[in-house]
Amino acid sequence: MGTPIWKITCQVYRQKDGETAHYDEFAMEADPDEYVLDVVERIWAFHDRSLTFRHACHHSTCGACGMRVNGVEKLTCITPIREVTADGGTIKIDPMRNFPVVSDLVVDMGLFYRRMELVGHQPVLPVTEAGVIENSRRPQDRDGQEQMLRLADCIECGLCISACPIAATDPDYLGPAVLAGAQQNGLDRGRHLLEIVDHEEGVWRCHSVYECTAVCPSYVEPAWRIMDLRKQVVKTRFKRLFQPKGK
Amino acid sequence: MLAEKTAPKAGENTWLWLLKIASGLLIITILIIHYVVNHFVGEQVLLTYDDILRYYSNPIVPIMEGIFLVFVVVHALLGLRSILLDLHPTRAVLKAINGLFGLVGVVSIVYGLWLLIVVAWRGSAG
Amino acid sequence: MDESLRKPPPRSWVQAWFDPRRRDLGTFAFVLNRVTALGLTLYLFLHLIMLGNLARGPEAYGRFLETIEHPVFVFGEYLVVLAGLIHGFNGIRIALTSFGIGVPYQKRIFVALMVIAAVAGVIFGVRMFAV
Repeated sequence: MGTPIWKITCQVYRQKDGETAHYDEFAMEADPDEYVLDVVERIWAFHDRSLTFRHACHHSTCGACGMRVNGVEKLTCITPIREVTADGGTIKIDPMRNFPVVSDLVVDMGLFYRRMELVGHQPVLPVTEAGVIENSRRPQDRDGQEQMLRLADCIECGLCISACPIAATDPDYLGPAVLAGAQQNGLDRGRHLLEIVDHEEGVWRCHSVYECTAVCPSYVEPAWRIMDLRKQVVKTRFKRLFQPKGK
Repeated sequence: MLAEKTAPKAGENTWLWLLKIASGLLIITILIIHYVVNHFVGEQVLLTYDDILRYYSNPIVPIMEGIFLVFVVVHALLGLRSILLDLHPTRAVLKAINGLFGLVGVVSIVYGLWLLIVVAWRGSAG
Repeated sequence: MDESLRKPPPRSWVQAWFDPRRRDLGTFAFVLNRVTALGLTLYLFLHLIMLGNLARGPEAYGRFLETIEHPVFVFGEYLVVLAGLIHGFNGIRIALTSFGIGVPYQKRIFVALMVIAAVAGVIFGVRMFAV
């Protein structure tokens, strides 16, 4: 029993320096259970070596392969072909929104990474600091032994920023990932964070659209974290009202 | 980075946002009363001039409607400001918007309160 | 090596705000809230101005009342009622989630509140147009 092979058409966004953006079409064969990233790689390997795209771990840990597939933000290494098209169908592959395009499917993440550093987003956390709602299973520390560590949920893929309508018209908006990173740190630990998130381009800019949570491939739930951060900011501001100056 | 030169002052927005939410919730409450009275209590669907004078002769009414007016205008202008902020104006334009909306808000509230006073006074006199 | 950043491909605010295609339910809520907000704000200032007729006395106000009995105005007012219902109920959802209440269920809350708004809209419609 052979695996089915689908025939699909891929429309890939192309933009090199100085050119106008356009779409190139590639007729591809794909196993419906393989991933969009695999198809993109095959386009590069066998059809057009000038196609530029990002990829690394191929298992949703590095956050490199975020793209838009049929207009929706996806982490392409874990997006099976059958999820986005059918036999004989077409898939449109675009770079992420709201980032400057460097070349084809590669966008400039520099400013975004600098902002993540600014809010002190930690890539590795103790397991007891999961901080994700609905997941209340917190393993106990073994006495006297080092705390167990886990990778932070956020893989800095930028899909949430791509999906956010405020980031679309306001490049100064810090964005869901950055605010979620600040929440992960927490205002009581990062006192400087209050000044960074408590203004118009920070935590108050969110309009509760929840697209960020919808497209996040990694269970960060940035929208919830922004709301939680708001609570922290309001609490801190109230406390400061009643504290003597110079605290 | 964050364009520190043009970054807005931290802290002022907490209160503006709280005001927006609080005014919104208050509006819902008073709106129900406002709507019920204006459209269900009179004989016809729309109150006549005399109905209105009678309704406003009770002093609690202009007070409630006055509070309603202030919160609706504040909520609407804060909301409009939020929408315009999404268009990423420069600091100078934002200052102009703040000034303009402040002016529109004050004028609307003063005008509305004046109207309330006129109607209430006529109601109590008539 | 910090090259000058190329601008992101331009995306008009109309498309960024009001294009719900292939987007999740939250975008739909956002668009509804924004559209109703603009409509209601416009109505607010019109309403304030039109009520100035009260100051002009009973004859002027009576004429104003006659004007707005025209079906076009009644339909417009119905749209205002619908906008108020949608914006108000969605605002309740936003207020709740902004204080961390019900965030995991926010989609269901939105749907439930919009159903209530729709039912209320039908009731108002019957009252306004069946008279």
